[in-house]
Amino acid sequence: MDASTASGGSPFMPMFEKFRLELDEHHDRRERVIKASRDVTAASKKMIRTVGKPIPPGVRKGFTQHEEVIRSQYTNISKDMQGLNSFRYQRQISGGNQELLEALTFQHYLETEQLLSYLEANDRVAGLGGPESPILLTPDDYLLGVFDMVGELMRHAVTAMATGELSGAASSTGNENIASRGILADMRDLRSSLERLEVDDGFLSRDIEKKMPVMKQCVEKVENAAYGLIVRGSERPKGWMPDTDHVGKGEVEGY
Amino acid sequence: MASQQGMVDAAIFEDLQARVDQDATFRDEIKEIVQVLEKQTRTAQSILSKAHSTPTSQINDVITAGNAAIQAEADTVAKLSTTASQQPYYKWNNMWSRQMQDVIFSILLCGWLGANPTEPSGQLLTIERVASILNIPVNLKDRDAFHITIEEYLQALISLLDELARLARNSVTLGDYRRPLQISQFVKDVHAGFQILNLKNDSLRRRSDGIKYRVKEVEDVVYDLSLRNLIPKE
Repeated sequence: MDASTASGGSPFMPMFEKFRLELDEHHDRRERVIKASRDVTAASKKMIRTVGKPIPPGVRKGFTQHEEVIRSQYTNISKDMQGLNSFRYQRQISGGNQELLEALTFQHYLETEQLLSYLEANDRVAGLGGPESPILLTPDDYLLGVFDMVGELMRHAVTAMATGELSGAASSTGNENIASRGILADMRDLRSSLERLEVDDGFLSRDIEKKMPVMKQCVEKVENAAYGLIVRGSERPKGWMPDTDHVGKGEVEGY
Repeated sequence: MASQQGMVDAAIFEDLQARVDQDATFRDEIKEIVQVLEKQTRTAQSILSKAHSTPTSQINDVITAGNAAIQAEADTVAKLSTTASQQPYYKWNNMWSRQMQDVIFSILLCGWLGANPTEPSGQLLTIERVASILNIPVNLKDRDAFHITIEEYLQALISLLDELARLARNSVTLGDYRRPLQISQFVKDVHAGFQILNLKNDSLRRRSDGIKYRVKEVEDVVYDLSLRNLIPKE
């Protein structure tokens, strides 16, 4: 029986050697995608910070720098995610895609006061993989990125209220109260669109279930802040921050 | 609606809803077929498990019934293959992967028991032969269509080893002292194969870690037999 414990004795070795080759290739691709997803996530978070800063001239430059990092990550893995494999590593790339979408939709909102559509987002993400090997953006990742983006809108709105300056929505009016209510109206608009979406089954519904309460909370925090601004606005000292809730922050995703 | 002047163009969410709905429709189609398949795999398994109580001399009855059950599975797999191939394979494969493992397992077990009259029992059907019985491709690379994956085949193979470890003891109960030897060699040979695979921390890895216990279980049976001089000579 000793012969079979040494691998040479088993008649199945050639078959398993083929399997080993295939599985090793698969695991290598998977590892590459996981790493890229992680790096895209980190760069996207930085991009969001850059974009969210209220100094407009710095925005473009900082954004481009992070975008280059992101582009090279996607270019590296785009050949691993073509054809049959385009959906094979979706679970692995999904985190990075969502974080990137959070950044892209947030940036797009600050620039245009509009929600970036799925089709536009898909074009932009596809382009990151290079001309012959586009990166696939699923509607699911787009949607989940939009959910997270509401958190950025919240931070942006609250900061804008505190500093009294407001880029983005309704910034043309000099009145900061009206301006902040402009973002708030947009957030409510987005909230009701997200709430109206009907998703019954599958992974997406489970993810949405988690993100929905967080998203609602973000909108409500800005509502509370707007309320505080109206009630106590004129009395506020320098450096005052709007009171968004009474629990304190920390439970909102994205920090 | 306020969305005209607001940040959200209503068309964006109409488009998204349509995509989500399309997926839901497709998911229902697949689910219906997979439910049928699941029933058939249970039937096939209950038929094949009669091998544990059937003397080796009458095993052909089990094989014949098993083949019929496998044919029923194959018909459903054909339907699944046609429907599933309309969409990217890996978008949905988690919906049927477990059931496909069960189908492959029934084919492997039936094959091991001696489904092919021109071959002796104890055969390991290759992934290619399993695929040809189901009339579907194997481990595709060049195009996106329904197929058997290596992982599914390996999972089914581990199920086969579990089943054979049980069969080794039950063969003795049925008076067949030769079969445990055959099983012992087979389980060892497959175990040697698994040992060269670099498995990651997934369910395949966890289950394959259990193979060594199957090897030992069957060795214990062989040991018991040899201790009592019950192993047939020649």
